Amino acid sequence: MTVDKDAETAQLQRVWDNPKGWRALSDVNNSVIGLWYIATAFAFMLFGGVLALIIRVQLFVPDNTLISAELYNQTFTLHGTVMMFLFAVPIFEAVAILILPGMLGARDLPFPRLSAFGYWCYLIGGVFVCGSIFFNAAPDAGWFMYPPLSTEQSGIGADIWLLGLSFIEVASIAAAVELIVGVLKCRAPGMHINLTPLYGWYVLVVGAMILFAFPPLIAGDILFEMERLLGWPFFDVTRGGDPILWQHLFWIFGHPEVYIIFLPAIALLAMIVPTFAQRPITGYSWIVLSALGTGFLSFGLWVHHMFTTGLPSISLGFFSAASEAVAIPTGIQIFAFIATVMLGSVVRSVPMLFCLGALAVFIIGGLTGVMVAVAPFDFQVHDTYFIVAHLHYTLIGGMLFPVMAGICYYYPLIMGKPLSRKLGIWSFWLMFIGFNTAFLPMHLTGMLGMPRRVFTYGADRGWTELNMLSSVGAFVFAAGFLLLAWDCLRPKKREPQVKRNVWNAGTLEWAARYGDTWGMRSIPEVNSRYPLWDDPDFMRKIDAGEGLLADAQEGRRETLVTSTLDARPVQVLRVGGPDWLPMIAAIGLGAVFIFMTFKLWLLTAAGGVLFLVAVLRWLWVGTAEIPEKDSKHIGQGIVLPLYVSGTRSTGWWAMFITMTGDLTAFLALLFGYFFFWTIHPNFPPVGIEGPGWFWPLVAGLLMGLSWGSTLAARFVNGSGKPATARLLLVLGMLTAILGGLALMAGPWTTGLDPTSHAYPAIVWALVVWIVAHLATGVLMQGYCFARSLYKKMTPTYDADLWNVTLFWHFVGFCGVLCALVIGAFPLLT
Amino acid sequence: MRGNRAHNEIERETGSGTDLWSVIIAPGIWAVHFLVCYVAAAIFCEKFGRDADLGGIRLTVIGATLIALLGIGWSTIRLWRVRGRSLTDDDFEYEHNTPEERHRFLSHVALMLCVLSAVAVLYVTIPMLYLTTCR
Repeated sequence: MTVDKDAETAQLQRVWDNPKGWRALSDVNNSVIGLWYIATAFAFMLFGGVLALIIRVQLFVPDNTLISAELYNQTFTLHGTVMMFLFAVPIFEAVAILILPGMLGARDLPFPRLSAFGYWCYLIGGVFVCGSIFFNAAPDAGWFMYPPLSTEQSGIGADIWLLGLSFIEVASIAAAVELIVGVLKCRAPGMHINLTPLYGWYVLVVGAMILFAFPPLIAGDILFEMERLLGWPFFDVTRGGDPILWQHLFWIFGHPEVYIIFLPAIALLAMIVPTFAQRPITGYSWIVLSALGTGFLSFGLWVHHMFTTGLPSISLGFFSAASEAVAIPTGIQIFAFIATVMLGSVVRSVPMLFCLGALAVFIIGGLTGVMVAVAPFDFQVHDTYFIVAHLHYTLIGGMLFPVMAGICYYYPLIMGKPLSRKLGIWSFWLMFIGFNTAFLPMHLTGMLGMPRRVFTYGADRGWTELNMLSSVGAFVFAAGFLLLAWDCLRPKKREPQVKRNVWNAGTLEWAARYGDTWGMRSIPEVNSRYPLWDDPDFMRKIDAGEGLLADAQEGRRETLVTSTLDARPVQVLRVGGPDWLPMIAAIGLGAVFIFMTFKLWLLTAAGGVLFLVAVLRWLWVGTAEIPEKDSKHIGQGIVLPLYVSGTRSTGWWAMFITMTGDLTAFLALLFGYFFFWTIHPNFPPVGIEGPGWFWPLVAGLLMGLSWGSTLAARFVNGSGKPATARLLLVLGMLTAILGGLALMAGPWTTGLDPTSHAYPAIVWALVVWIVAHLATGVLMQGYCFARSLYKKMTPTYDADLWNVTLFWHFVGFCGVLCALVIGAFPLLT
Repeated sequence: MRGNRAHNEIERETGSGTDLWSVIIAPGIWAVHFLVCYVAAAIFCEKFGRDADLGGIRLTVIGATLIALLGIGWSTIRLWRVRGRSLTDDDFEYEHNTPEERHRFLSHVALMLCVLSAVAVLYVTIPMLYLTTCR
């Protein structure tokens, strides 16, 4: 049988075509969303950069009156917030969404609409947070929002920070889900885990870190907002709270976050350095080791931000030791890169300049990091400009320069046009010299005693010359950045399109042709780390459509799902096409967070309804769709199923990953409970009875029953009795509702007043968390009931029920644990 | 470049067993050990005051360290066998496209993580050996 290859190409083109005109906004394809994401991140970065320049102008001369102290507070708070939350973390998601599918040989990520949803959340939340400064309402208590300053002094700015950023964290977790499943399940056939591009490894590690790092901050945000909105005294010492709890929750997030920013950027180096050394990376397995090791150790460092809070010296000792230990894996990566450069024959290029600059700057930042990891030294420089210098060296060396290298490296691949080499070199040297002129003197300014975050200083302090130098450097740095931005944005109509694989790279993403929205013409079999170097015939085979899934006969967007370790093809996954629902859902959720800031409850509720309706419709119409046939041929005689449920499906893994993050947030709340127990001699405090053991016991049993019925419904449905399964689901819904009511009855009947003391407040917080999850669980059970009724879920096609059951495993566990803690723990003390 | 390197696979005994979960056993042990030490000491110092002698908690931490090192040691021995089997062909790149190669690669990464975790566990124990009170 001869196949018409041109007809195949035309069909692929039709199926993967980007929507045009105003419909372009409904696009979900990774190549488009990724580009929007990057552009937005850089727009925010420029905004944050302008704020930084305002800071430097203000500090240029002593006793400057350019801006007021209040505005200065807002400026540096927003600068830190924007750079960390709106640039450093999102740029990772942006770059990964854009280039990861190409690297893995996938046509798209497994959940394109989720990426789009995350993007819109990020855009709306970011504009909201940034816009506040134009109304003189920006957060002003520093980017880590320490109470009691932020609870007692700040105006609405703190709420904007808390709610705006919580909203943006949704985007991060969405991206983590998307990217982890992408790396584990969407690699090209044959791409065993030991052949996966290093970028994929880093993304995997960072995705997992997000799941354990962001939820504690979300939990902290919830407690914080409850204190500000409802007066629940979690951080108020006069009513049994403790501001240190916020510091713990913030830095359990905050320190891993530094590595969440650093690792994906260094991952770009791992892709760029081999290309320009024209040899495979040295010590592949050593780099994987250090990425994993850094990922773990980074969670043992958070207290080193709290060395001066008066914790026992033994606690400081533990964290100081771990902070020194993390230098080992970090150093291994750097040595592996240097070795690759030394063993190869280096091709001089702009991306390589940025790579080398990144290594130089980061090493300085790393070394000052080892210095401040030593507690007595930290006591001396804490909250001075030495810390400002240290953190900028790590972040700019560890993140900004590598990202710049990545931009210069991937620009021709994505845009099809070259960047100017001359402008690139100029830009690099301006940035490199400007950066060091600005930040190297800050080590000294800090040593001379200048505290960070002061809006001005006296001329007699002796800080004037150093500050002037820093300000000049900052502007040189900005000029270098703008030069590169201009080079990226300037019209290039007359320049020729670059040739394919312009840098002669060896990895898969460079096999893509500019302008192909479908990724690769056909999905190749991969059997080495650098297929483009090892197999001269590789690109021809892809283009000739000799690989897998070379067609889209049924007019659906499809990508391959492969097994986790050895990448054997297991399923053809149909992914979503252009759709407005992700954007509508994000607008709804955004409305919830934004209107809540201004206490406009009716509009908040309306936003909630919009979000819920959009998500339900999105799920109902676009997920777990029963295919028109069981399986399809994908070429080379391979036949794969179109529908998979349970542990082999991408959806199940997405649920598992999401709920792991959710569980972490719950554990962070529980940590709050036991933290209060630790610091109070009597806990529960004398005179406060409740919630008693009876109602928590009843609630625990009911929640367990609901959990059991959901699981039973899955088994019964699987064995071909959907009607009984529906009955069990109804039973599950009823017991879940009753369980939620019983859980609230405990603190309610014993009169626990959450505004009176931190104990009732944390008990209520745990209860509210579980009840919210039970409500979601009931909605899910109802959803499965309806799916089964409308024959969209059958005994064979039961992915919905599998995923809902998995959700219930987590909720059931958390619910029972919560009942145990609030009911039984007071009996023990 | 190196021609058909990837196609000249060396057939070896196919092993299995090392998956992503067993790669993170050793760092997982480090994490648990770290939390146990920190939480135990923090609670101890909070409940018994800043003048309390750390002697009461030191044995707990040393005990936890021994258990952690035993666990990491067990993991190391398990992985060492995998490495021993492959010493003959002098390959540390792990770049062939076979399940066996993937297995040996993950074993190699896991083995090195054992070393790193053991070092980190020891690091964390050191302060307990020379500090005397909660101050």
